[in-house]
Amino acid sequence: MAEIVLKNIRKTFGTSVVAVDNLNLTIQSGSFVSLLGPSGCGKTTTLRMIAGLDTPDGGELYLDGKLLFSESEGCMVPTEKRGMGLVFQNYALWPHMTVAQNVSFGLEMRGMPKEARRKRVQEVLELLHIDTLQNRYPSELSGGQQQRVALARMIAINPDVLLLDEPLSNLDAKLRLEMRTELKRLHQTLRNTILYVTHDQLEAMTLSTHVAVMHNGRILQYAPPLTIYRSPADLTVAAFVGSPPMNFFSRSENEGSDVFRSFLPLFPGLAERVHTVGVRPEDLYLSPMPPLDPWSYPAIFETVLPTGSDWIVSLRVHKRTIFSVLREEPRIKPGEQVWISTRTEKIHLFDAQQKRIESL
Amino acid sequence: MEGQGMRIRRLVNEFRLLPYDPTKAIGFLLCAALAYLILAPVLALLLDTVRVNLRDSATIGIPTGTFTTYFLRRTFLSRVSEVLFWKPFWRTLFVAGSVCGIAIPMGALFAWLVVRTDLPGSKLVSRLMVVPYMIPSWTFAVAWISVFKNRRIGGLAGMLETMGFVPPDWIAYGALPIIVCESLHVYPFAFLLFGNALRSMDSQLEESARVLGASSFAISRRIVLPLLKPALLSSFLLTFSRVLGSFGTPYILGSGVKYYLLPTALYNSYKVGSPGVAAVIACVTVLIGVSLVALDMFFVREYRRFITLGGKGAMVRRRPLGALTLPALFLTLISLCLTILIPLGTLVLTTFMHRPGLFTVENFTLDYWMGTSIPAMVGQKGFFFNPDILRSLKNSVWIAGSASLLCGFLGMLVGYIVVRLPKSRVAAYLRQVSFLPYLVPSIGFAAASLSFFAVPRGPIPSLYGSMFLLVLVMSLKYLPFASRSGITAMTQMGNEPEEAARVCGAGWLRRMGRIVLPLQKHALLTGILLPLISGMKEQSLVIMLATPGTELMTTQVLRFIDYGYTQLSNATVVGIVGIIFILTLSMERLTGANLASGFASRG
Repeated sequence: MAEIVLKNIRKTFGTSVVAVDNLNLTIQSGSFVSLLGPSGCGKTTTLRMIAGLDTPDGGELYLDGKLLFSESEGCMVPTEKRGMGLVFQNYALWPHMTVAQNVSFGLEMRGMPKEARRKRVQEVLELLHIDTLQNRYPSELSGGQQQRVALARMIAINPDVLLLDEPLSNLDAKLRLEMRTELKRLHQTLRNTILYVTHDQLEAMTLSTHVAVMHNGRILQYAPPLTIYRSPADLTVAAFVGSPPMNFFSRSENEGSDVFRSFLPLFPGLAERVHTVGVRPEDLYLSPMPPLDPWSYPAIFETVLPTGSDWIVSLRVHKRTIFSVLREEPRIKPGEQVWISTRTEKIHLFDAQQKRIESL
Repeated sequence: MEGQGMRIRRLVNEFRLLPYDPTKAIGFLLCAALAYLILAPVLALLLDTVRVNLRDSATIGIPTGTFTTYFLRRTFLSRVSEVLFWKPFWRTLFVAGSVCGIAIPMGALFAWLVVRTDLPGSKLVSRLMVVPYMIPSWTFAVAWISVFKNRRIGGLAGMLETMGFVPPDWIAYGALPIIVCESLHVYPFAFLLFGNALRSMDSQLEESARVLGASSFAISRRIVLPLLKPALLSSFLLTFSRVLGSFGTPYILGSGVKYYLLPTALYNSYKVGSPGVAAVIACVTVLIGVSLVALDMFFVREYRRFITLGGKGAMVRRRPLGALTLPALFLTLISLCLTILIPLGTLVLTTFMHRPGLFTVENFTLDYWMGTSIPAMVGQKGFFFNPDILRSLKNSVWIAGSASLLCGFLGMLVGYIVVRLPKSRVAAYLRQVSFLPYLVPSIGFAAASLSFFAVPRGPIPSLYGSMFLLVLVMSLKYLPFASRSGITAMTQMGNEPEEAARVCGAGWLRRMGRIVLPLQKHALLTGILLPLISGMKEQSLVIMLATPGTELMTTQVLRFIDYGYTQLSNATVVGIVGIIFILTLSMERLTGANLASGFASRG
């Protein structure tokens, strides 16, 4: 169907800025892959290179075993011939064309006869529930409607590969949830390969079959979303995925080193290798008395931020603030002492190179 | 060998990709074209200051092509340097300074009245105020000479003389009329600049000072004046570059008494004296032009830090004029009369009189518009039948029309390349080179083009005397505006609409036709109409390039003045002004753009 393979793809801007650094990635046919990372990590550049809008400096790019780009071969299939779909962050609808004209443009470029075009446009607009807007101009649409037209425009040509560049970042929270559901439904219906660029971890986690976490032009981890969350491959991934972020205690820092040392007895064989210990806020339990858990530590209860569904608690441990997420309302007052504890299997270990250590 | 083969393969591949994205190729072509058309002439002009040209070699007895300091010495140090250069130079500074002294306070005062007080009809006033800036700058000079002309120069008598009062030379010609006429043309600039500054200056700034106990004097000195300083400096520099670049007014009002400014001195040197000296003077005007723009840019950058602070949400409270309403209104009416009604009225009136200034029934006539023969002017016909006027009208329309089309598309292309290849050397180069003509005063630019294109270069024959040269020079001179608006328009559009079309499978030509051009329709229209309007009134740029077969309306006006055909020259001016009004109004209608705010052209 449509498997994309990136081999040693490199891209630098100017002389010094390395946007994408020796990237290797295989996107399986029919999967929904997210490129997740902070802004400037090279994810949009990667997407644009796959689309053919940017030319890599080196490496190879294949679609279904067919060469799209190769530095050494001097091969470059132009965007126009790749037959992919790309939805831009700001939609890039053509303001001088109606919704129907926007959607029908790609079909026209493929020489589809008029009647067939009309039918296909109708079909796609219905699929996205915007068939009533056919004759409107983009300026007469709401943000969510524009988003649907942008999607429809690319789905119309029935591309094997659909590239989405932060498509939801310009929508408000409610619409975003609606469009997330819509995207997942479309993927289940159309079964094409989707590459989705986002800096929103919630989007990446909820939509994708696989997530590639990018940082400084490199892929740090490429795995199903739950694996990324439960077993982050390194410290950066662990810190980036999850909100509130994972609590870390490191060997090198002054305030937390006592806490760090208190973890070591749990991992007798690893005491030398472990450099940083991490615990997710929801895995940090509170109790007024020293609990029976294998690890516990005293802390001062600072303040509580109720979100409605749960309670985010900030705690002070040796002049450092850490977070815990509780499912029930805590019955402790600010300033009181509590005990924090966790279970051994919930503890993440990282070595001096920030790589994950499998404790078992 | 391996490397060689790969390089060839890569070239072949790049070539195969060309139809999909020829941006780079077009960029390189454009770079080469602009280097040849803009950089080369300016360099040729520089070279002409130190190298003997064909015409000079006969007079000074040095073979053509020899390097010499003769022209520099002659212009700056010789006994004739006083006449050739220094007098015109100091006079230019004097005239420009005086014009600043009149035009800036006048513009500032009216800007304040219109923006900051409850002057009745301020909307109408602010529209009318920019009229003198729409019409050609030398219109005032033509009107002035029709009224104040005396026996010193030939042809028909001036209106006042006919009425029995002979104006002395100092009223008719020289410094005073030049300063007055230039001021009347330039003050709308100051009006616009101060108007914008005052409009963006929040009244709350003054009110906060008042709350803190500042007196009115302290407020104007500490708050208002510093905030108006950028507008003041800009008007100052603009006025200078206007005076430096305008040829018509000093030519019409100064030539009779040999009162030359730099543009007319340059013209004289070129026409009757030494082209080498003309090149030196042209370089001086270029140098002054460049330093003025550099200063302006420096100040703009310096003040940008606080200039935007007012922003759009600025609250402007209007001060009631109270008892001063009537005097203020009176002053405004007088000024509008002086700058619009009287000059244009005079011009129109003279074209209906056999002897301007003689108000008897039999003296009125339609001959100068409709007549097929005019008793007083042997061989001449009225405006609508005059072969010279009709040919110049045709030339003007052709030249300004083609130049504006060329300029509009070139500007759009520059914008396209600059935005598509951001941060590239091609983009930086195009940006700068397309801006270069802006730095060069019109007459200097014409001189540069003349010295480069007047001789055959390779396959290109001598262009002197051809319509093509006028089209070329005009479109290049206006390219800075067109390319800047092209860059702005393309930046606003962004790359995405075109990239989306690429993804959909559209090739370059299709993207241009279906996406880029339709989206840039408005910008392109403005980019063509503005140069068209400027081109119809252009005189300084074309005066040295126009030849008897290629006279434009604006140069034809000067020919008629030279012959003393007052009515015909004035009828031609009225014709030009009429065309400009029609073009301006239709442009405002078509694009919704406001000429006054969009196009602050400088000499």
